[in-house]
Amino acid sequence: MIAKMALTPDRDPHVSWAPEREQSSGIAASVRGISKRFKKSRVLEDISFDVAEGESLVLLGASGSGKTTILRIIAGLEQPDSGRVILHGKDVTDLPARERGVGVIFQAYALFPRMTVEKNIAYGLKIRRRPRKERRETVDRLIKLVQLEQHRKKYPSQLSGGQQQRVAIARTLAYKPQVLLFDEPFGALDAQTRVHLRREIRALLRQVKVPSVFITHDQEEALELGDRIAVLNDGRLEQIGTPDDVYNHPATEFVATFLGAANLLIGVAVGGFVEIGTAKLPAEKETRRFRDGQSVKLVFRPEDVCVSQDANLPEGCRRLTNGVIEEVNFVGAYERLTVRLDLTHRKGDTDALYEVTINTPQKMTGVPIMVTRPKPEANALRYKTGDRVAIGLTSFSVLPNYTLARQR
Amino acid sequence: MKITSIRHVSGFDVARPVSIGMMLGIMLPLVLLPLLSIFVYGFGKGPGVFWSSLVAPEAVFALKLSMVTSFWATAFNVLFGLFAAYVLSRHDFWGRNAVIVTISLPTAIPTAVAGFALLLLWGKYGMIGRYFSENQQIMFTPYAIILANIFVTFPLAFGVIKPVFDTMSRSLEEASATIGATRWQTFWHVTLPSLRGAIVSGALLTFARAVGEFGSTILVSGNLAGRTQTAPLYIFAKFNEGQIEAANAIAIVLALLSFVIFSVLFFARDWLEFAQEA
Repeated sequence: MIAKMALTPDRDPHVSWAPEREQSSGIAASVRGISKRFKKSRVLEDISFDVAEGESLVLLGASGSGKTTILRIIAGLEQPDSGRVILHGKDVTDLPARERGVGVIFQAYALFPRMTVEKNIAYGLKIRRRPRKERRETVDRLIKLVQLEQHRKKYPSQLSGGQQQRVAIARTLAYKPQVLLFDEPFGALDAQTRVHLRREIRALLRQVKVPSVFITHDQEEALELGDRIAVLNDGRLEQIGTPDDVYNHPATEFVATFLGAANLLIGVAVGGFVEIGTAKLPAEKETRRFRDGQSVKLVFRPEDVCVSQDANLPEGCRRLTNGVIEEVNFVGAYERLTVRLDLTHRKGDTDALYEVTINTPQKMTGVPIMVTRPKPEANALRYKTGDRVAIGLTSFSVLPNYTLARQR
Repeated sequence: MKITSIRHVSGFDVARPVSIGMMLGIMLPLVLLPLLSIFVYGFGKGPGVFWSSLVAPEAVFALKLSMVTSFWATAFNVLFGLFAAYVLSRHDFWGRNAVIVTISLPTAIPTAVAGFALLLLWGKYGMIGRYFSENQQIMFTPYAIILANIFVTFPLAFGVIKPVFDTMSRSLEEASATIGATRWQTFWHVTLPSLRGAIVSGALLTFARAVGEFGSTILVSGNLAGRTQTAPLYIFAKFNEGQIEAANAIAIVLALLSFVIFSVLFFARDWLEFAQEA
């Protein structure tokens, strides 16, 4: 059962669970040039980022990308080969985990099985030998904050996953952590609970104002939880930015394809255009950083493609080429089209919907792309296999096309 | 647990009563009747005889000596087993596996060999014993019995505690460390409570085994009535002297004690909680 946690505004607006500090530089935690190898394999390579005060940063990456190692290095559970970890201006790289004052919410929560909810939450203060009265008051306030009043005498095994997670958070808040680190916090939960809980946590974090770092491999989770997202690939930081930045302006092909779906075409930047075969896409601004004739990757999302049957593309949509509908799928929230692009027939600046035959069994030329359309649009105008359409893009990124990995 | 079986024949299946009967028939003379006979003979001449045999000074001494020596052997082996399990599951070092095998070795060594080996080491002319003066000798004293008990029950507590250590989620200890606990605080507040079940069952196993130890004890203790005679030695001695009632009374006490220990181990599983909850 999922306990409801109200998403109401702060009831106790003057309580911050962030540590008291005399002056605030605005940066809660920073990681400077962290590298780490395990035996022969490189796990992290020169990772640097900052977490601002009160901010939530999501480290997004596939399993094996090194995100867990970063978290463990910040927590002091693992030592980096080189680089520094700085918490609120203090270099803690050489301090053991217990002297860092970070809060880690482990994947399976790691609640102490032989302690009640209360005792779990009071543990940090007990260890710090705080007076009994202070312990009791803190526990009372935290139990109220995470809304577990009826469960305070229960043992972790008697709680649901979501309740256990809240105990884990309260347990770290009790000692006013420098930063909260969440290790795949929703990994062990079913899809529905996951969505529910991450909203709860988001609301809770806004209330407590403690800077946090999440790690996840779930892009939807990253977009929803993060004030900023850092995308990791194979031990390297590919891009760090706001969800809007990372999603709409991916810096690398990996970011574009890992965070949501993306189409990828290889072309050449020429005179303010991206040329892909005979197709020509006006991209003055996007190609400014490339020299003429440089090989580029055109990356765009399925929802940024506009499709039209009469060659009149909507405002703000730049004409790419024409194509033929190859497949129409209805996938619940939207419609998905596979369109085979003509990249060989288009001549000059032909505007009309010219004859394209590119998906006949005899002649399979052209490149298929994925297009999604929202329901109202799909209902208003239905396409069927074989329809000829004009294709335009509302938004896209142009990335350099390195042929060798070391050119990155 | 509800058991359901496949139907192999239609109508009455003779395999069921026959197989159950056969199993019990085999167990009866091998296990059940010997145990029953202790009680039948023990109380055969009335409870008065049983009682007077039981409270005979030598009998009381033998029982007490068994309890005390077993207690100290258990205390030592549980503490050492806990410590060894901690060291071996938390630190990797050259020869670690060899140490694990060595700790478990006493299980496979005949107890008479163990007793003999102790004599060769600690005895008057033994490797270490020769450096002790006449009145410091430990062989043929209660301390020798404790040493023998420690040797033969050495792997028992370790064997129960080590797997729990190995399967314990490391994130509990990591959580404790990030919260701010020292190594010792983590051990005391987090690790030890999770080992409670294993420690109790390890201790019971060790104690049960130590109380019944005969082979090594008879060699190292000297079997001196009223001085170094444990309960199993007392049974053996009285039987040799033809005092069946005296032997029987102690046998009953030892049998009952082992029933109690076994019941605790068997029925209190839930409380002991071998498995670790997440």
